[in-house]
Amino acid sequence: MTDFHLNRRSALQGLLAISAAGALAACGDTTPKSESVKTLGDTEFATFKGFFSIEEMALLTALADTIIPETDTPGAVEAGVAETLKSLATQWGDDNYRRYWRQGVRNLSDKLPGFPEASTEQKLEMLGGYDAKVFSGQIDDGFYRDMKRTISTAYYMSEPGATQELAYEAVPGEWKGCVPLADYPKTWAT
Amino acid sequence: MADFDVIVVGSGMSGGWVAKEMAERGFKVGVIERGRDTQPAKDYTDFVDPWDTPNLDWTSEKDREEYPIQSEVYAFNQNTKQYWVKDKVHPYETPEGQDYKWRRGYHKGGRSIMWGRQSYRFSEIDFEANKKEGVGVDWPLRYADIKPWYDYVERFAGISGSMEGLDILPDGVFQPPHDLTCAEVEFKKKVESVFPGRKVIPGRAANLTEPTQEQIDLGRGKCQARSLCERGCSYGAYFSSVAATLPAAERTGNMTLIPDTAVHSVNYDPETKRLTGVKTVNMKTGESATLTARTIFLNAGTIPTSMILLNSATPDMPNGMANSSGQLGRNLMDHVAGARGYGIMPGFEDKYHYGRRPNGFYIPRFRNHTESGEDYLRGYGYQGRIFRGSWHGNAFGAGVGADFKSQNRTPGPWVMGMVAFAEILPDERNRVTLHPSRTDKWGFPVPVIDQKHRENEVKLMRQATRDTRAMLEAAGLIDIDTDNPDNITAENMSPPGNGIHEMGTARMGRDPKTSVLNQWNQSWDVPNLFITDGSFMTSAGCQNPSLGYMAFSARAADHAAKLMKDKII
Repeated sequence: MTDFHLNRRSALQGLLAISAAGALAACGDTTPKSESVKTLGDTEFATFKGFFSIEEMALLTALADTIIPETDTPGAVEAGVAETLKSLATQWGDDNYRRYWRQGVRNLSDKLPGFPEASTEQKLEMLGGYDAKVFSGQIDDGFYRDMKRTISTAYYMSEPGATQELAYEAVPGEWKGCVPLADYPKTWAT
Repeated sequence: MADFDVIVVGSGMSGGWVAKEMAERGFKVGVIERGRDTQPAKDYTDFVDPWDTPNLDWTSEKDREEYPIQSEVYAFNQNTKQYWVKDKVHPYETPEGQDYKWRRGYHKGGRSIMWGRQSYRFSEIDFEANKKEGVGVDWPLRYADIKPWYDYVERFAGISGSMEGLDILPDGVFQPPHDLTCAEVEFKKKVESVFPGRKVIPGRAANLTEPTQEQIDLGRGKCQARSLCERGCSYGAYFSSVAATLPAAERTGNMTLIPDTAVHSVNYDPETKRLTGVKTVNMKTGESATLTARTIFLNAGTIPTSMILLNSATPDMPNGMANSSGQLGRNLMDHVAGARGYGIMPGFEDKYHYGRRPNGFYIPRFRNHTESGEDYLRGYGYQGRIFRGSWHGNAFGAGVGADFKSQNRTPGPWVMGMVAFAEILPDERNRVTLHPSRTDKWGFPVPVIDQKHRENEVKLMRQATRDTRAMLEAAGLIDIDTDNPDNITAENMSPPGNGIHEMGTARMGRDPKTSVLNQWNQSWDVPNLFITDGSFMTSAGCQNPSLGYMAFSARAADHAAKLMKDKII
C-alpha cells in the first residue's frame, strides 16, 4: 500500500465522520486484513496460548523501540505498545491473524539476524535500511508495513503518545477553522 | 376507553417529534419502541479516551460475523456498536444478485443518535420537480406550506449554518455556522470564481453553536467540538430524540414510553373504518398484547412502517392496510453517494485548525439549476472537508526512529475529501414486500427489499464524478484522485440503502388512487392513521432528509390535533 493511498484513505475516513456516506466505509477500513499463511501447520498457529513466544516478543519489542524510540517524550516501549500487540493477537485476532503475525515475525527474524541483541545504533541502521527498501518497493514485505502501522497506531493512541508526543484535547470546547500553527505546533492526536 | 389518545410507533427522528407535539397539546401519548430504553449514563461513550478504546478501535472478525452489514457503516466502531442491530437477529432478503444495505439501530432514539446531523431544507424546485418532469406523482404541497414548520423545528432542534440566499437551498433559523478552514476558504474562492453557478458553504448541522434558553432548559449545551457525536453526546449538543424531543414530551407528563415492544400489525374496525390500536410483541418475552388509541402515528422507519401495514391485511384491505392505491411499499428511494474526490491543497503550511468540527462544507446542487444537465434529471450536492493530514496519514510511511517521530509530530498537508449525494428518482419497481414464508425469531415476516439504481442515477453519478475532478483542478489541488466516470455502472455504484436515507414507500400525493397519504401525512383510506417517517416522501431531493421528517412530523401532528379536538377523528 502506498503512502498516497494511506493519505487518501485517511482523508476519506475523516470525511466520513461528517456524512452519512456508508458508501465510503470500505475506504475507511483501518483493520489490517490478515492473509492466510499456508506454509506452516495449523496446529502451531491455532492456539494462542503463549502468544507471542519470548523470542517473538523480544524481536517485536526491539522493533517497536527502534521505530518509535524514547526521545524528549516516551517511546513505544514505555507506552505499552508490546502489550497492545499481544492483546490484539490473543484477545482480538483470529487464527488467521495469529498465523499472519507468526509467519511475519519469523520472516523478519530471518531478514534481521541478531536484531534484538544489537546496539541501538546498529538497530537503527539495520531497520532504517530495511524500512527504506520496503517503502521504496525494493523489498516486498506487506507484513512489515502492517506491523509498523499497528505499532504506530498503538503508540499514537496510547496516553503518552497522544498527550505527550502529540497534542490531545478531550474537550476542545470550540472549533476554530484557521489558527497559526505556531500556537498549536503538534499534530492533533484525534 | 382507549389506552392512549395517540400511539406513536417508533421513538427516532420523526417519532420523537410527534410525541412532543401531541403531548404538548395535552394528548396522552404512548410511544412504542422495539428496542431498549437508551440510558445516556450507561450507553454513551463520549468520554472514552483513545487509550481506553479496546483493540485500537478496530473491527474484529467476530464483529463482522455478528454485524456483517452494520459493521461496514462509517459510524460503527468499538464505542458505537451498541447502537447497531445484530444482523443475524434481524434478517432481510434481497432478490438474487442484488444488494441492499439496510443500516439501522433499535433503541430509544433510533438513528437520531448515530445520524450525520446534516440538515437541509427542500426548496420549491424540489417540490415542483415531479410535476414538471412527469416523474412519480406531484407533491400535494409547496414550499410555502412547509416553510413555517421548517422554521419551527429548526428553532427547537438548533441548526448551525450560514445565510446564503440560495433558491435551491433555502435559508433557515440558524445558529452561527462552523468556520471553514483556511484551505476551504481558498477552495470556495476558486470554485466560485471559475464556476459562478456553484457555492461552497459551511455545512448546516444540528449541532448547537449558540444554545437558546429553550434548549438550555432541556439540559442541552453548546457543541464542545469533539466530533464524537455518534457515540451519543452527554452535553446534548446535537439534536436527537433522546436529547431533545422525548425530554420535551416527558416533561408534559403526558408521554409513556413503552420500550422492548415491537408492533406486529395495526388493528382495524371495518364498521368505523378506523384503526383501533396495534398488536404488539414484547421483544424480551415474546408475549403479544394489544394497545388501543384514537389515533396512530407510524414512525417505525420507512421499511418497518411498510412491513407493519403489509402485515395488517384484512378482508377489507387485502393488499395491506391503507393500501388501496397499491403504492404501499413502492417507490423506495435513498441518496446514492459517490464521485469521491481526493487531493492536496498546497500552501497554508503555517496554519492549522483547533478543535474537531462535527461538520464540513457543502456544495448545493447546481445541475439542472444554475448549470444545465445534459441527459438526466435532477442533481446532487457535495459534502467535504479540507483538514491537515493527521498521524493516521503520516505515520504509515517510511522512516524509523527520532526522525519518524518528528515527522508525525508535524501536521501533514491540507488534505481534501469530498463526496456527492445524488437524487434517486421514485420508481414503482423499487419496493419492499413481505417474504411469503420466512419469519424472524419473533414470528414477524422478513422483508424483501428490491431496489436498483437506474439509468438516471448512473448518469448523475458520471456527471458528478466529472464535476468533482473539474472543481479540484480549478481550485489548484494536486495529487488529485477521482474515479473514472466511464467505469461507473448501476451495479458498481454504492448500493441502495448505503446512503441511510431510505424513504418513499407510503408517498403523499393529491390522488388517493396513486398515493398512500394526503398532504397532512394522513392515510387516504384510514383517517386516524398518520405516517411521518421517511415513508411519506414523494421525491427524494438530494438533501439529507431528516430535517424534512421533523418539519412534516410537526405539521402533521398539529393537523391531527386539530382533527381530534374537532372530533373529526
